Amino acid sequence: MMNQSVLGQSTLTGQLASGSLLNPKGHEHKRNMASDLLLTALVDAFSILVIFLLMSFSSTGDLLSIGKDTELPKAALTELLERNPVVKVEEGQIYLEDKTVSGDGLVAALLELRQKFSAERSGAEFPGIVTVQADRRVKYEFLNQIVLACAHAGFSDIRFAVLAK
Amino acid sequence: MRKPTKHLDFELNLVPFIDLLSVCICFLLLTAVWLNIGTMNVKQAVGGQPAAETEKKPIIWVFMGEKGDLTLEAKDASRLPAGLRKLTIAAGSDGAVNAEQFDQVMAKMKESEPDLRTALIQPKAQTSYETIIDLMDRFKKAGLNDLGVVPL
Repeated sequence: MMNQSVLGQSTLTGQLASGSLLNPKGHEHKRNMASDLLLTALVDAFSILVIFLLMSFSSTGDLLSIGKDTELPKAALTELLERNPVVKVEEGQIYLEDKTVSGDGLVAALLELRQKFSAERSGAEFPGIVTVQADRRVKYEFLNQIVLACAHAGFSDIRFAVLAK
Repeated sequence: MRKPTKHLDFELNLVPFIDLLSVCICFLLLTAVWLNIGTMNVKQAVGGQPAAETEKKPIIWVFMGEKGDLTLEAKDASRLPAGLRKLTIAAGSDGAVNAEQFDQVMAKMKESEPDLRTALIQPKAQTSYETIIDLMDRFKKAGLNDLGVVPL
């Protein structure tokens, strides 16, 4: 009973057998089941994807490590982010190049950085650039100590990290 | 004598090309950084050139109030009309800086004094970093690119 039902029939024994390529006897209705894949459309799509990804490829994100709780402020007219010493504010702590520093010790740490630069590149003019990375909700009274410390240590060019709108 | 015709129609093997594109896509998707980070540059005065030797340039001082109000004070801007040399912009209805009025005032100032390129921002202790950056952005839009932040 089961063998006669449609469910009981396999591809080789069922009504499709004559049309199947698996059945060597089904020559009379043999159809070529292998269809040509249109590779041109696939290559087109892949090429567009690669071009889009290359255009939107940005290496600036690697220069800063942003904590999950940090939200940078947004701005429309921004300059390109460059590799400079980074002063980071995270959870009420100040970090200089990922090392914790106190508010009072920031000037000394920045001066040390400046001396290191002078020792490594004697004769080169000190650029005095520092990147400041802070959460958008930080109050200016906290940022003020960083601005003051940078000015005391001779870092006259402060670059606030922002998200481009 | 007839030359034998060469069959010029040939098939390009697309499989290696697709392989290459797939690897490229995987690499770019894995390494893509979708955040576009830029910087807002601020030049701070350091050290001491005597004030007498410093070239006088038109400057706008901006005093940020506690409740979103702004006081603008122009210095060394002789071409500015008296009404634009010192003025206060009241906060908007949401308690933030009245951006629309600020843009209008800056446009008028820039029209009267095209050499105006410098602005010094004096925030309050409780002013948020976001508000300062937003104000800097508006200054840049108005054509004032030399910006400074005054410490408390």
